[in-house]
Amino acid sequence: MTSEPRRLSRRHFIGTAAAGVGAAVALDRAPAVAQTRELTFLTVASFVPETDKELKRQFEEWGAKNKVKVRLDIIAHLQLQTKKAAEVQARSGHDLTALGPGLGDADLYFDYLADLNDVAGDVAPKNGGWLNPDDYLIRGKWKLLPWWQPPFPMAVRTDLLEQIGEKNPDTWEDWLRVGRKGKAIGHPFGTALGHSGDANVTLLSILWSYGGSYVSKDGKTITINSKETRAAMEFVKRLYSEAMDPEVVAWDDASNNRCLNAGKCIAIHNPISAYESAKKDKVVIPGSQKEIADFIDHVHTPKGPAGRKATTGFWCVGIWNFSKNVDLAKDFLRYHFQPDNQNRWVEAGHGFNMPFLTSLTKHSVYKSDRQYRFIPEVAKVTVPPSWPGPTTAASQQVWDLYIIPDMFAQYATGKMTVDQAIAWGEKEMQEIYAGRRRKP
Amino acid sequence: MNRRGRRAWRSVFTLYLPVTPFVLFALFPLYFMFVTSLKKNSELYDPTSIPFLIRRGVTFGHYQLLSGDTLFWSWFLNSLLVSLGATIVSVVLGILAAYPLARLRFPGGDSFGVAIFVTYLVPPSLLFLPLTTVVNRLGLSDSLWSLVVTYPTFLVPFCTWLLMGYFRTVPREIEECAMLDGCGRVQTMLRILLPVAVPGVICAALFAFTLSWNEFLYALVFVSPAELKTMTVGVFSELIRGDIYYWGGLMAGACIGSLPIVIAYVFFLDYYVSGLTAGAVK
Repeated sequence: MTSEPRRLSRRHFIGTAAAGVGAAVALDRAPAVAQTRELTFLTVASFVPETDKELKRQFEEWGAKNKVKVRLDIIAHLQLQTKKAAEVQARSGHDLTALGPGLGDADLYFDYLADLNDVAGDVAPKNGGWLNPDDYLIRGKWKLLPWWQPPFPMAVRTDLLEQIGEKNPDTWEDWLRVGRKGKAIGHPFGTALGHSGDANVTLLSILWSYGGSYVSKDGKTITINSKETRAAMEFVKRLYSEAMDPEVVAWDDASNNRCLNAGKCIAIHNPISAYESAKKDKVVIPGSQKEIADFIDHVHTPKGPAGRKATTGFWCVGIWNFSKNVDLAKDFLRYHFQPDNQNRWVEAGHGFNMPFLTSLTKHSVYKSDRQYRFIPEVAKVTVPPSWPGPTTAASQQVWDLYIIPDMFAQYATGKMTVDQAIAWGEKEMQEIYAGRRRKP
Repeated sequence: MNRRGRRAWRSVFTLYLPVTPFVLFALFPLYFMFVTSLKKNSELYDPTSIPFLIRRGVTFGHYQLLSGDTLFWSWFLNSLLVSLGATIVSVVLGILAAYPLARLRFPGGDSFGVAIFVTYLVPPSLLFLPLTTVVNRLGLSDSLWSLVVTYPTFLVPFCTWLLMGYFRTVPREIEECAMLDGCGRVQTMLRILLPVAVPGVICAALFAFTLSWNEFLYALVFVSPAELKTMTVGVFSELIRGDIYYWGGLMAGACIGSLPIVIAYVFFLDYYVSGLTAGAVK
């Protein structure tokens, strides 16, 4: 026997509707059943576009499963600083945000980022653990999740290497020799000495490889004035004058890619983006029909007298604590950092976006193409830009103001003596660190 | 050689030749953008190629990339709507502000004029942070209205200052004649001054439209959804990916983006350069 549905009287309907509208007005929001939860995510355009498509797919999939409306906003990485500053100022904006390049954003925006200790703890065991967890803690807390890094191998033209009779260059001195011979036949070495992220990366790599550093482990003492720094600067001066063209002091992040893909540079210190775009666009070696991608190889980041070290842009993800959806945002991060999703995401990025999770550094994509074979190796020697000091707002400022590239360039181009350039850099860094030092 | 022939030859040396370098200088960016937008990537990357010529064939691939793989035409439309809206609002407010400052005498009038000028000098890079809060409080973030509302912050002072100067060049006598015939202040402004000042108003509108069309910072900060971006931000976001610049696509976007400005200037050129108050007073 089925019961007949109870009829809703007109009076009852009007009464219920009036009460609902009254409650909604009083609460200044729609009733729960009518509310659409929305999660927004601001990120930077990936260097490999398929990565963004996969992230969007995962975000939408998670949204559909949880009945949450999602919106992924993608901007160029150069726009991120402005956007973040505005959102913090207004205490409003996206729920999730990309942070970087560098971990220092989390110190700059420490008071506006939600704690992610729980998410970091959940994510790690499923993915073999974080690579270097101590590096990612800001003031002892997980204020961000390190997301991806583009390791910096050395990209080299194999045909030109053969032409100049060189084999397996491995140290910075080897690459100076290669660059010198290359320049003699019109194919110089290429690394930026201007205001660009690439210049920061390569010059810090050289500094560390020669035993130097700019801040000590205590995060306070500026250590740039050392004989190791002098040795690194002497090397860069030789590299600049003997193996490169003067234009490198005006280079931006795109210039070395262009130099390699234009068939000019014999080698550049760069992620695999140049190779990827050469392959995609079928760029040919000038004066021939040969595709240049077939003659590019990627080898280990060079080592110096003190060993092999490198850095890169540490891209991270965080949640604003003024977001109304902190828990939802955390839930999405847990979803995105599930091994399956991370695997797909790394696959989509052709290995360009390497996560900071141990098991992902062994992803099959790094064996899928000979070009990627050294990327996990480079990741192993990659440290944050403030190494051996901790990541702080001051270290981020040293990076953002290009103090290291300016110091090297001023000596390399002959504008200053080595002592003057180091003294200049030391003074700049001391002022930055003193200015950022918090009162006890 | 007859007189007409001599005159033509003279104008070659006295007019065309002296003007040519300036024309070339002005047109060079447009030419370079256009040529780059039609080159194949292989030629764009080749350092031995001649940057100003296309030697390996023309491609429309960059335009196809813009149209097919990005939301370019939505961004174009957004730019158009925002620029038109902000221009109309700003020119109307500019006229209403400029008229009393140019014509009426009241305490603090001059200081007010200077204050408006100083407001124009405050750079948007300082204003965008507090304006973000304002836009948020108004509930306009992530909508095109946020731009229609904020662009007048730099357009109104500009239009006011420009129109103030222009209104002052219109002889006061023609307004006084109208008033003698019974017009009120508002009627005088609407029926006498504005028709005479059309070139000035068009000039202000053209500049306001150009400034809105090219604006980048507010469009970046106040609007996030891809489908609501303006052209300046959209092209930059989509075609610069880290250290990969899609030069052909960027130049194709710049070429198409410059068209409305070129058309607007060509269309109103006569107004723009015409004798401003010629014939108003006999």
